[in-house]
Amino acid sequence: MASIISATTTSGLVNTADNSGDLQFQTQNGANTITLPNSSGTLATTANLSGLGFKNRVINGAMVIAQRGTSAVTTDASFPVDRFQLQVVNANLSAVQSSTAPAGFNFSTAITVTSTTSSGSNDRSSLFQFIEGFNTADLGFGTANAKTVSVSFWARSTVAGTYSGNLSNAGGTRTYIFTYTLAANTWTYVTATIAGDTGGTWVGATNAIGLAVRPIMLNCGSSFQGTAGSWIAGDARGTSGSTYLATTNSGAVVNITGVQLEVGSTATSFDYRPYGTELQLCQRYYQTYPGIGNGNRAIWSGYGAVANYAYWIFKTSMRTSPTIAGATLGTVDPSSPEAVGVYSTGSNYAAFGYNGSSYGQATATAEL
Amino acid sequence: MYKLQPNHPITNEKPQSVIRTNDGACIPFDPANTDYQAYLKWVAEGNTPLPAEGAE
Repeated sequence: MASIISATTTSGLVNTADNSGDLQFQTQNGANTITLPNSSGTLATTANLSGLGFKNRVINGAMVIAQRGTSAVTTDASFPVDRFQLQVVNANLSAVQSSTAPAGFNFSTAITVTSTTSSGSNDRSSLFQFIEGFNTADLGFGTANAKTVSVSFWARSTVAGTYSGNLSNAGGTRTYIFTYTLAANTWTYVTATIAGDTGGTWVGATNAIGLAVRPIMLNCGSSFQGTAGSWIAGDARGTSGSTYLATTNSGAVVNITGVQLEVGSTATSFDYRPYGTELQLCQRYYQTYPGIGNGNRAIWSGYGAVANYAYWIFKTSMRTSPTIAGATLGTVDPSSPEAVGVYSTGSNYAAFGYNGSSYGQATATAEL
Repeated sequence: MYKLQPNHPITNEKPQSVIRTNDGACIPFDPANTDYQAYLKWVAEGNTPLPAEGAE
């Protein structure tokens, strides 16, 4: 049974005790009940409940979407999965979507140190995500009303150690370092609660960079080191005593998944969104076009009497006018009004000059 | 390296983008586009894009 607190229509509030340890709230003479069991748990705070609509500000935190493909990337500013960038500064790294994942997840991003490099003062390699200002403005960073946020993710490393991650603003003038400890080859749930930054300059509701989330630093030179646990007026991304695999452990592998940034002082369960929703969120920053020809879709427009344009209408509005790339796209050909190349772009479309031949796949990139 | 685009062959409008030569990507002149920001930085460092094909 349970100890009961009951709102009756005859005797008002009635309390009935027992020794089970459970507690039950009743209304309408016991017709409606809510029971708190005799076990541990956490009730969400009002702040957390208010974030249910878009609780996780990180997109593709479960590393599910990989529109660019599943080949490993090694260069700076490359994307092993959508929205997550590999930053490479004086490091030899390889990052790829991986099926190694903790219970409840199916993918992670695996980063391998292909060979170590000597530590340099400007080292700052990481896996990170820039979050758009439209999705962070309500946090109120840079104001007296800055909200407390919680960062959480799952991490696994072949090397035991204390690792650094951080949050920062776009300009790298405000940074908060957090540290965490991993045992070797063991998935660990990492959480960090961070009081909102009341200082500094933060981007508001714009399509620019709102903040950066870096779950792990792979190296971090002395110019980018600082103390964990408080906001720093500068670009400090890791502590001096942390493990930096890129400089110490050739062959080391670290996996990251379930990355979440939410409002509130408690990290809550990962915010699983429908696959289609997550894909659309990613396509605001990157999307592909299957190509023209062989029945692939295009909207046509004549220009004057001679020029044709094929309009690629984007699947979702992009953050800004994207960069268009594709194997067969070149400069507009001045010798032919039916030119091959990109004539114009907007956040919703790209117009290709079209000369009747097929185009290969094209990509539109509007990353932060 | 970057390469300018010619004016439109029919309307003679000025180009609205520049080509990144290493991958042929077309970068719009949009201040919020990070590739355009990189292009502007590259120019500010004293570099000059290749002229458009057919340009005098």
